[in-house]
Amino acid sequence: MTDKVTFWYGCNVVRHGDIIHSAIALLEAVGIEVTPAGGAGYCCGTAKDGNLRAAEGMGKRTVEKFNEHGTGQVVSWCPSCYRHMNAFMGEYTDTQFQLSHFTQLLHARRDVLAIKLTNRIERKVLLHKHFGFHEVDVNPLVEDLLRLIPGLELVETETTVPGHMCSALSRVPAALKDATRAVCDAANGAKADTVATVFHSCQRLLCALEGSEPFKVVNYVNLLTESMGMTTRDDYKEWKLAGSEEAVVAAVGNERIAAMGEKLFRDSILPELLKQPSK
Amino acid sequence: MPEKAATLHAHLDDFIKDTLSRCTRCGKCFEACPMTRYGDGLSKADPKTVVSGVLDWLQQTPGNEESVQWLKVCTQSSRCIEACPEGINAMKMVRVGQMSAMGSLGLQGAPALSGREAKDFFRVINAFSETQMTPDEMARWQR
Ligand code: SF4
Repeated sequence: MTDKVTFWYGCNVVRHGDIIHSAIALLEAVGIEVTPAGGAGYCCGTAKDGNLRAAEGMGKRTVEKFNEHGTGQVVSWCPSCYRHMNAFMGEYTDTQFQLSHFTQLLHARRDVLAIKLTNRIERKVLLHKHFGFHEVDVNPLVEDLLRLIPGLELVETETTVPGHMCSALSRVPAALKDATRAVCDAANGAKADTVATVFHSCQRLLCALEGSEPFKVVNYVNLLTESMGMTTRDDYKEWKLAGSEEAVVAAVGNERIAAMGEKLFRDSILPELLKQPSK
Repeated sequence: MPEKAATLHAHLDDFIKDTLSRCTRCGKCFEACPMTRYGDGLSKADPKTVVSGVLDWLQQTPGNEESVQWLKVCTQSSRCIEACPEGINAMKMVRVGQMSAMGSLGLQGAPALSGREAKDFFRVINAFSETQMTPDEMARWQR
């Protein structure tokens, strides 16, 4: 595989700059030259099933931009983007690149990565697994990667939940609740001190469990970069754990609220940050 | 190799025609679905009836209530794809059925399903980006 790739991180992952920066650091650590691309300007349009004209416009624009990158390789972080490219976008556009998933690329270069993982991480980790991403069997790939970390004990678990990531379940609140309960039971049953998430939306929807459960919730890329000696900070989790409205506002800070826009923060972002997982 | 469709609508038309020509209405996709216990009445629904309803949606005809319930609880678990003996992407079939039930394929009348997009979706994405990226990263990675 080429050493130059476009790293397509997606839209919703921008809540977690730590995940994006860790993922890029990991690709670079295994010798890959990365062109990152994401945010609204690279949306796949998967959320636009109610407006297919918009979905098509977004899909075409994003494919054209990837073609212009000229890397010939697009590596996706988000399973929804990957799925949408495969099942829809790629069916009516001229894609001049191969699509792969981040876990595949990193796993293929795990021998190089292993050399960089020098810091011991004394954690007992349970991987939070969904079974719905049929295109790429990510769970064993991530488990292999976590086993490279010195000091880390990976719990064997049969617990897997529907959907390809937690955001898919949020449309059916009872199912999200069951899945959340299942990961809590599995982690506590195994006395794990850490639940590792694979995808950003699981990190988003599960991170606040730290407020009521005895385990930490960390995305696996941050465990890998921690072992490389890199420090990351999950702002989103800190904000979710702040608790009250006043505490969230203080944690986010006036400067960032101003950058987000005060009205948008009050109307849409604050309610999201105050919402706690149901289990 | 058939020529690639030029538009999303053309691709969906091809997909619908192909699915309708190959689906035997056996119901195995529905039987494999891990979400049926979350839909009203779905646990006891006849799989063939549910699938027939989804195929109605694909043909721009409102499907039965059981099919609406299935469209509502699909969370893209992929089990239906593995279950289909005809090699149909049943998850995509359900997704296109959802599009039809949202009125996105031209079906008139009140939509049976609403769109999935969250309120202020892109504004929220841009707002979080402002807090998580440097201005330089925003300029280089997100334009
Ligand atoms: S399993 Fe396949 S052939 Fe059977 S009803 Fe579902 S889509 Fe049709």
